[in-house]
Amino acid sequence: MRTFLKTLFPVDIFKGMKLTGTHFAKVFATANRRKVKLHVTEEYPEVPVKLAPRFRGRLTMLKDEQGEIKCVCCLACEKICPTQVITIESGKKEGRKTKIPTRYDFEMERCIFCEFCVESCGFDSIILNHQFELAAYNREDFSIGMLGESQNMFGLTPVGKFSYSDED
Amino acid sequence: MNATPELTLLQTCLMAVIQAVCVVLFIFIIVPLTIYAERKVLGHAQDRLGATRIAGHRVGLTGWLNRGMWRMGKVPFLSYWRGLPMLVGDIAKLFLKEDIVPTKADRAIFLVAPALSLIASVVVFAAVSFYPGALFTFPKFVPVLGGVPFNGFITDMNVGLLFILGIASVGVYGIVLGAWASNSKYPLLGGLRSGAQIVSYEVPLTLSLLVPVVLTGTLNFNDMTRKLALETSPLAAPLMAVGFLVYFTCGFAETNRMPFDMPEAENELVAGFHTEYSGMRFGFFYLAEYINMVVVSALASAFFLGGPYLLPFGLHRFVQDWPVLGAPNALWYVVKMILLLFVFIWVRGTIPRYRYDQVMAVAWKYLIPFTLVLVVLAAALRFAA
Repeated sequence: MRTFLKTLFPVDIFKGMKLTGTHFAKVFATANRRKVKLHVTEEYPEVPVKLAPRFRGRLTMLKDEQGEIKCVCCLACEKICPTQVITIESGKKEGRKTKIPTRYDFEMERCIFCEFCVESCGFDSIILNHQFELAAYNREDFSIGMLGESQNMFGLTPVGKFSYSDED
Repeated sequence: MNATPELTLLQTCLMAVIQAVCVVLFIFIIVPLTIYAERKVLGHAQDRLGATRIAGHRVGLTGWLNRGMWRMGKVPFLSYWRGLPMLVGDIAKLFLKEDIVPTKADRAIFLVAPALSLIASVVVFAAVSFYPGALFTFPKFVPVLGGVPFNGFITDMNVGLLFILGIASVGVYGIVLGAWASNSKYPLLGGLRSGAQIVSYEVPLTLSLLVPVVLTGTLNFNDMTRKLALETSPLAAPLMAVGFLVYFTCGFAETNRMPFDMPEAENELVAGFHTEYSGMRFGFFYLAEYINMVVVSALASAFFLGGPYLLPFGLHRFVQDWPVLGAPNALWYVVKMILLLFVFIWVRGTIPRYRYDQVMAVAWKYLIPFTLVLVVLAAALRFAA
């Protein structure tokens, strides 16, 4: 009897309609308001995206307060990298006790952004920054390093040829 | 309705052409808007914004304006409506795409089927009446048509409802023939399902339309809406409300909309009956589906929601003496249609698809006996009064 009544009066359907109707009404009423935002999508290219603090973007090297490279060439990152995209050559520098990298090559086209390199670094000398618009036309644009043409290991936006929010 | 002046043959033909063009224009305005509304409403129901842009943010004037306003920290003016040009893009795409006929398809039938589907859904409007009488009269200085009334309906035939039902059921031929002629297994399965489903649901659909027919005792479109609004007893209101629900449910099945979209079943049958179609031939099927929605909403709003009269379910007699609201108005009719189109989209955003056996069970085990009871009750009510 109960199931029969339930079949006769489609209560569940009306419950569902109420749910979707509420969502529709809420989003429709606030779609053009800036303070209240009840939809979950972002107006991405026009509005910069808010990223989570631990977002894993492109690998970047850090410098300390004196402008010295913090990396000491312990090769921990090179060893732990699952796709072996990091190549380090170490050298000496006058007045510095530890070694200093003369080459730090990072081939981003194979990087899987796992952050193992940053976790393994004992000197906090590398991080993954918040840059995610990394598309480029040429493969060479993905070779990132410290020297010459590809000296862009420290900057924020070396590639990003398609970056909508930064370019102008 | 009124004492119309005797029209010459030329005037009659001209009026028919003009009204037909007006109705077709109406259809081809409201259908793209429905498509746009579908994107928006479904988006909102899923906490999205729906279509908000047509190309990049740098394309077009609105793109530049929008970008600047976002930079200034404001929500851009008209940003919400920027998906609207997408309709033009859609239509352009449908026209420009290559029209492919599969090698082993039954060529003639394959080419005819989409047109059949579209024509069947448009021709229905020949008998639909938007307003019972003249909307306006052509002034005297108009060359041929001076003094001729512009009616709110194309034809005022005795068997309007019968005509509508007959033409509307031709639409299934388009689907079944197109499916068969494609000579491919997915369209065939979709077409078979569609044939069975539409034939099944035609029975409760027609039976639920019998409720207003029995209550009024006529098949004339204008007479039916007028008698339902003004002359039926208020006791019929619950009956008509239930009849409306049943009719609308069957309408979903007839138009292959979401809870019953067996013919398409895109997660099982690629795209169902129109898998092999491309370009504007697919566009015909696509348009026909939406025009069918408009037809179902038009009939539902005329026979159950009062049509051009304000109050639904035959309750209009209580307000018929009010100054403006009491008079019939084509606006009410269109507004009710649009509301029903919204409900179509709303339901699509809510209810998942039924299994095939469930679809058939709903029709044969529940709706048909239920509508039979409704018809009997309506008959009892009519002859008791």
